[in-house]
Amino acid sequence: MANLSLRQLIKRFDKTEVLHGISLDVEDGEFIVLVGPSGCGKSTTLRLIAGLEELTSGEIRIQDTVVNHLEPKDRNIAMVFQNYAIYPHMTVRRNIGFGLRTSKLSKVEKKARLEEVAAILDMTELLDRRPSQLSGGQRQRVAIGRAMVRDPAVFLFDEPLSNLDAQLRTQMRLEIKKLHQRVGNTIIFVTHDQVEAMTMADRIVIMKDGHILQVGTPSEVYHLPANTFVAQFIGAPSMNMLPARVSQGGVKLASGTVLDIDVPSTQDRNVILGVRPDDLHLTNDSALLEGPVTVREPLGAETLIYVDTGGDEVIAKVDGRHPPVVGQHVKLTASTEELHVFDARTGTAVI
Amino acid sequence: MYRNLSIHQKHIVWAWAFLAVPILFYVVIRFYPTANAMIISFQDWNLLGDRVWTGLENYDKLWNDPVFWKVFRNTFIYLLLGTPVSLVVSFIIAFHLDRLRFMHGFIRMLYFLPFMTSAVAMAWVWRWFYQPVPIGLFNNFLATVGIPQIPFLRSTSLALPAILAPAVWAGLGFQVIIFMAGLRAIPRSYYEAARIDGVSGWTILWEITIPLLKPTIVFIVVFSSIGFLRIFDHVYNMTTTDPGGPLNATKPLVLMIYQTAFTDFNMGYAAAQTVVLFLILLIVSLVQLRLFRDR
Repeated sequence: MANLSLRQLIKRFDKTEVLHGISLDVEDGEFIVLVGPSGCGKSTTLRLIAGLEELTSGEIRIQDTVVNHLEPKDRNIAMVFQNYAIYPHMTVRRNIGFGLRTSKLSKVEKKARLEEVAAILDMTELLDRRPSQLSGGQRQRVAIGRAMVRDPAVFLFDEPLSNLDAQLRTQMRLEIKKLHQRVGNTIIFVTHDQVEAMTMADRIVIMKDGHILQVGTPSEVYHLPANTFVAQFIGAPSMNMLPARVSQGGVKLASGTVLDIDVPSTQDRNVILGVRPDDLHLTNDSALLEGPVTVREPLGAETLIYVDTGGDEVIAKVDGRHPPVVGQHVKLTASTEELHVFDARTGTAVI
Repeated sequence: MYRNLSIHQKHIVWAWAFLAVPILFYVVIRFYPTANAMIISFQDWNLLGDRVWTGLENYDKLWNDPVFWKVFRNTFIYLLLGTPVSLVVSFIIAFHLDRLRFMHGFIRMLYFLPFMTSAVAMAWVWRWFYQPVPIGLFNNFLATVGIPQIPFLRSTSLALPAILAPAVWAGLGFQVIIFMAGLRAIPRSYYEAARIDGVSGWTILWEITIPLLKPTIVFIVVFSSIGFLRIFDHVYNMTTTDPGGPLNATKPLVLMIYQTAFTDFNMGYAAAQTVVLFLILLIVSLVQLRLFRDR
């Protein structure tokens, strides 16, 4: 049973259409991450689900109830905001309790619920503090606690980690994932960070310019990107993109190398050949690409090398112990399974 | 020599260079007269003759002066009526104006206009409003609907509120602007989170908006209190024929000081009153800052 279902969501602000028909089904207990560059409509989608923005057309169902015209409080959702939205003049206890204000539970039950949530988030001893006495990560937890006491069908997270420093972000990422595994509620999480998306999601929804480009598990979007945008957005450093041409069942690169890839095509056409830096290896035999190393970026275990292949610069990830020096002529290869072919005009994946 | 100073020392030299002018100004124009006034309050002086030391005589006279106590009460009525009324009214206006998109700028300008208007001109226009038939606007209106005349400025009980009304109105625009700035500073997500929690608008107002506006409220309360404690020009201009009348019913402390000093030329006595006003301002401001202080 779908826990949350979006049907052809369209949102216009005045005359500008920012979402052009978003459809998505989310299973009960799934961790969905909406990811995309700023302005792609991911936050707007989240706010539509929350009911903070009104839908132009389409349908939102939460647990088989159409919620299009319901107030946020009646949608059985809870939201964690980017700036946490915890009130500076209230103690942690009152902040979390705010989520229970309108609940029909008795006073004793509310108190028990609050204590339970505080225990889960490991902040029982912080309950009487004020937000100004908390660290960034603790504030984040208060915001999550406030959402948790409502025990909603769907949790909505709007870029909750972007105000934290890099180290804390990694830590909170893990905490949220653990929390999800423990409480099991459905989570819709918005971020612009592909690493967050990859590490946390059961399924990733990649958005751009108000469209969904691809929905899939982290492995699917990484290994089978639907188009050049997804291919370059997911994974760091980005996938190398090389212009090429399909002819007689093979793919011919600008450098003249012909690859034996079976592209279903009746006639010659321009394509883009994609290959991830991780999939390129140094070789002494016939090379897919070759040229002098222009820059080295040591990362410790690995080193990134930038290779000038005659016009196009290609990034490859090589072993960090014995990387080639700058200026050295290197040959790079990759197995054909690791190569991606996209249509040059539309950018969609051909194979 | 300047060359040999460290960067920090150079900053200090320049800071003092720029501060010197206002400091000199303040010492000569503010602090010296203030200190002098305090000394004069222990003397008898008519502005031309010699200053005669009289000790606490002026204060003793003040303590036993029934007019002073009347004036003292008036001053506090201006304060205790004017400050809360202007606070509540300006908050209500700002709260609703903040949500209004239609002609927002124009309406805001209308509220701000009285603040920029000369108090004297405004007082005279309101004085005209308050006149009896056939001149006054309000009484003319009352007459046409058949309600008896109201002797606004001639009644010992109505004159003070009648004068206070335009004074409140004059300061409103400024307070509205300050309140709106305060409201704008509250992050929208606070309200969105509250909407998701489903609390009522009343709860949002009392538990989110007003507590978060506390610094704004403190500023406005202190600022307008000082204003009402020093009220003068509205009173003086609306009761020119008998300043502070009728029967001292509208006379604030500043007006009494003015009359003692420049009608009676009793500088010592006026200075003593000034010292009292200074102490009142000081105590009221300190009490307010303490009451509103964050725990």
